[in-house]
Amino acid sequence: MAVFRETYYIYLRNLKVWLMPATFLPPLFISGVLYVLFAATFTEVTQLGGFTTGDYDAFLVAWIIVQAVVFSGGDSGFALLTDVMSGYFDKLLLAPINRFSILFGSLLVSGTRAMFQGVVIVVIALALGVSFKTGVLGVLALLGFAAVFGLAWACLSIIIALKTKNAQATQSSFVLFFPFAFLTTAFMPEDLLSGWFRIAVKANPVTYVTEAMRAIVVEGWEMGVILTGLWVTIAMVGVLMIVTTWLYRRVTV
Amino acid sequence: MVNDNVIIEVEDLVKVYPGGTRAVNEVSFSVEEGEFFGFLGPNGAGKSTTMKILGTLLGRTSGRAMVGGYDVSRNPKEVRRTIGFAMQEVGLDDLATGWDFLVMQGLLYGMSRRESKIRTEELLELVALTDVAKRKVGAYSGGMRRRIDLAAALVHRPAVLFLDEPTTGLDPQSRLAIWEHLEQLNREGITIFLTTQMMEEADHLCERIAIIDQGEIVAEGKPAELKSGVGDDLVVLSVAGEDESERHRQAERAQELLGPLEYVDEVFATDGSISVNVKDGGAAIPSLLQALSREGIAIVNLSLTSPTLDDVFLKHTGRTIRDEGASGDEFNRVMGQWMGVSRR
Repeated sequence: MAVFRETYYIYLRNLKVWLMPATFLPPLFISGVLYVLFAATFTEVTQLGGFTTGDYDAFLVAWIIVQAVVFSGGDSGFALLTDVMSGYFDKLLLAPINRFSILFGSLLVSGTRAMFQGVVIVVIALALGVSFKTGVLGVLALLGFAAVFGLAWACLSIIIALKTKNAQATQSSFVLFFPFAFLTTAFMPEDLLSGWFRIAVKANPVTYVTEAMRAIVVEGWEMGVILTGLWVTIAMVGVLMIVTTWLYRRVTV
Repeated sequence: MVNDNVIIEVEDLVKVYPGGTRAVNEVSFSVEEGEFFGFLGPNGAGKSTTMKILGTLLGRTSGRAMVGGYDVSRNPKEVRRTIGFAMQEVGLDDLATGWDFLVMQGLLYGMSRRESKIRTEELLELVALTDVAKRKVGAYSGGMRRRIDLAAALVHRPAVLFLDEPTTGLDPQSRLAIWEHLEQLNREGITIFLTTQMMEEADHLCERIAIIDQGEIVAEGKPAELKSGVGDDLVVLSVAGEDESERHRQAERAQELLGPLEYVDEVFATDGSISVNVKDGGAAIPSLLQALSREGIAIVNLSLTSPTLDDVFLKHTGRTIRDEGASGDEFNRVMGQWMGVSRR
């Protein structure tokens, strides 16, 4: 179908834009640095008990991927607005293509980016000696989670972009969503958390995504946790995608 | 359609932006196949809005707009296949090379990769950018950017080419290069619809123009007809003579001689020169000179002033087109047009 072909071309073009070293290297570098720093700082924290693994490097993998996706999620909206400002977006709208292929081509790059960020973190983890309980299949599942979660955050940033219509405002507003990455079982299992923080963590959908990804790394195929995380991720993508396409339709017709 | 040759037909077109700005107010006009048609007007007159509606980039509020026999709202995809569109805010992918940018355009218009590459080679040659094809578009000069944008608009061999202020901001040399490309394309049969705020451009390129101001068409016709509707050409002749009184006398003789001529509307003699108002100065000059020479009146200097399209604009709006400065910051303009919330 033509729409797939068109989406693919837009995807390739946006992938090229993202693959410029100045665009894609810094976030990867920061994620790698955070991983190594946090792992070195909290390495003994597993002694507290309540952890399902004694390997804090392994415990951190899931959250490092989640934060990488959250922190760079704003790029999708920013990239869209950059094309709008340069006039290239109009050029795409003028082509006899389905205008949703422009949106989907851009969202798919976000999924690819999240997956690639996952690959880099997995490679660092392997270098640090982390063993993945679920093996190669588990790593693939982990990357799948990253990709779908990446789509959700890309939708969120495109929603902000379409609402604010301003590239700088999109990047700034996106910082408001960073707490979602921290209000999770980022550094400690839920049992070790208390008070309002624990309530916020339980209410935060990102917690369930992190937990599912973590289970894949350190516990094995714990289907209860993994499926909960999967449904939450799918629900997030579903809702955000509906809002994104609705807003996008409104501004491009 | 009224006429089989009509390729663009606009009837009572209205565009009201959210907020109530009436950018286009019951505009009607038509363009025939192969015509070079210009929309002349100052910033904010409604030129770009009309063009964006015709290009399917903006929705209309009411009225009818057809391009190539297709309604722009009901059959936008067919309209997009019929037209090429080069914008005022040149819509380029600065991060791509010229080559990749054009190949991508071809792919988006449904060509195979091979077809698109062949077409890209042809177009790069046409706009003389083959040598810089592998350079990033972001590094191109202003003139080169307009040329690659023009090439992109031609990828799918459109029947109609829409050009929104194609030479604004260019140096004279680059402007001439673009003009030559456009004239060549028009000779090859492409209908061109151009907006401009430069009278010279409209005058030089367009067979027919519509002058638009505050969302309404105030005049329409061939540039020469519009200009002659404003007033006469003025021919000023300086007569020869040994001294001031001799020149004065000769000028008065000339006045008596030329006054009765059929094609002369008015003639004044002042200090050794005569000012003659005629409909068509270019055509009248040889006869004027002949008439004077027959009576032994020698001419040492001659000048011809014709009405400009600015005079036409002045007559219909009470202002000169140059009075209308650029308005609004770039961001609001670009974003506003896209989001449909601009004041125009």
